[in-house]
Amino acid sequence: MVMVLAIAGVDNTQKPTPLSFPIPPGWPAPSYDFKKNPPTLQGFVLGRRLFYDERLSRDSTISCASCHQQFGAFATYEHSLSHGVGNTLTSRNAPALQNLAWQKEYMWDGGISHLDLQPLAPMTAVNEMGETVGNVLHKLRRDTGYQRMFKEAFGDTTINTQRMTKALSQFVLMLVSAQSKYDRVTRGKDSFLLPERLGYAIFQKKCSSCHKEPLFTDGSYRNIGLTLDNTLNDYGRMKITGSRQDSLKFKVPSLRNVAITHPYGHDGRFFSLLNVFDHYRKNMQLTLLTDTILQHRLPLSNFEIGQSTAFLNTLTDTAFLKNPFFAPPGYNITPMFIHRH
Amino acid sequence: MKSPWILIVFSLFLCLSGFTRQRAHQVTIRFDHYVGQAPLQLSDTAYHNSFGEPFTVEQFKYYVSGIVLIAKDGAVQAVDAGPFLIDQADPASRLLPLSTSLSSLQSIRFIIGVDSITNTGGVKTGDLDPMLGMFWTWNTGYIYTRLEGQSDSAHAPAHRYTWDIGGYKPGINAARTVVMPLNGIKENLVIKVDLLRLFDGVHPVRISQNPVCHEPGELAMRLADNYATLFSSLP
Repeated sequence: MVMVLAIAGVDNTQKPTPLSFPIPPGWPAPSYDFKKNPPTLQGFVLGRRLFYDERLSRDSTISCASCHQQFGAFATYEHSLSHGVGNTLTSRNAPALQNLAWQKEYMWDGGISHLDLQPLAPMTAVNEMGETVGNVLHKLRRDTGYQRMFKEAFGDTTINTQRMTKALSQFVLMLVSAQSKYDRVTRGKDSFLLPERLGYAIFQKKCSSCHKEPLFTDGSYRNIGLTLDNTLNDYGRMKITGSRQDSLKFKVPSLRNVAITHPYGHDGRFFSLLNVFDHYRKNMQLTLLTDTILQHRLPLSNFEIGQSTAFLNTLTDTAFLKNPFFAPPGYNITPMFIHRH
Repeated sequence: MKSPWILIVFSLFLCLSGFTRQRAHQVTIRFDHYVGQAPLQLSDTAYHNSFGEPFTVEQFKYYVSGIVLIAKDGAVQAVDAGPFLIDQADPASRLLPLSTSLSSLQSIRFIIGVDSITNTGGVKTGDLDPMLGMFWTWNTGYIYTRLEGQSDSAHAPAHRYTWDIGGYKPGINAARTVVMPLNGIKENLVIKVDLLRLFDGVHPVRISQNPVCHEPGELAMRLADNYATLFSSLP
């Protein structure tokens, strides 16, 4: 709504049009410092253009959106490991991009401490976009369309790392998912079906200490008894902190839109929700470093799994998945999501 | 709304001017890089460290920040316009023109590295632009010092040794403060930077044992202790 109003007032020769950031009712204050990067319509539009631009990669084959697809809540859809340039594979499953303003650290291992810094990692990793920041800027500077867009967003045609990443942040910050059935129910505008209600009670009892409402993550890093894959050798958080205690810890992912963000886990090893439930109830490898609240695994009956799944489906936010403002420039409607296993 | 700030700024100005002994003047600091007594060249020429290990230098750069000048009467002035990236490949970067109102300088203090707020505060411009490569994108943080080249003693791929030294978190903070006497220098200060001390200034670090340093941690901390010893003033 805010953006619709804003678009009506676009004037290319004037100062950029401020965009207000929607904080859903009952949510905590965002962690992102908007004062240092106030969102504008022009900054958002520029960020969206960058997000969908394959030229950010070395061989112009991969954009941010290649691994962060809107119909999959901006996660990698149906691929376990996200793909990089030149037939490379990354070592992880690109996570959903939603409600990023409430995150303090980024990546499955939390290695990146600021949203503006985040795009530099995939851009420069040889098994992701494989490009240098300098080359990306060079390509953008030669494009008169970008010159115009940077001027509209920032006042002049200077194109540098800071402006590029601030614009990208302005786009991804707006990816707020807060209109699921769950949200409508908590706001008194809808009601759960019986399985959903029963599943919600089970969820609150067994899952919500880590997948904390309303963001459905507490932002912590936990060892949930995953075995080490000996081709990836990904120890997660330990690589960042250097501490043995952090071995095989990964960030607790949000469960918003969980029904359509499969496969699951940092390396996409779980192909369905049932795989995940089975992991927790019987496949966990218990070690001294396994999270204390999972020392006895997580007993779940088939009934509980069924009801919980019904509840988790209420976290799918179709308004977010189909929001035309988040679609590639030139598309008013994103590909419809109707595909569910 | 603005008037309290103007007052604050003005009173700060008054405070600062109380320490001044004369009007602002320029002091130029120049960093001259050496390997022992030989001026550093980025080339195929091999130098030798005190362990007898041969090494060439392809890149040598580091961040200098938090520069403070101290006068003989104890007056202290922060002349911070940095952080500056000092790069052997860019002679202009090795000259820092600073403005100070202190006369009869006694010593200078600066930091090799950048503070934690700069490390985590998002994307910066100028000398701090992550585009310059002195930044870890996958594990946020600046690389404070880089020394890279080839060495027959390096058993890493292509016999390269690559030292990227940094880290800002408690316990693995690689920023180091350097204090140097100025010996009454008035205008032009030449700081001699002896690369050989990076191998043995405090801790012996052999290329043969540690050809690669690519993350904050214990090795980076030892190398950081060493780089704090590189600097001395030339008469």
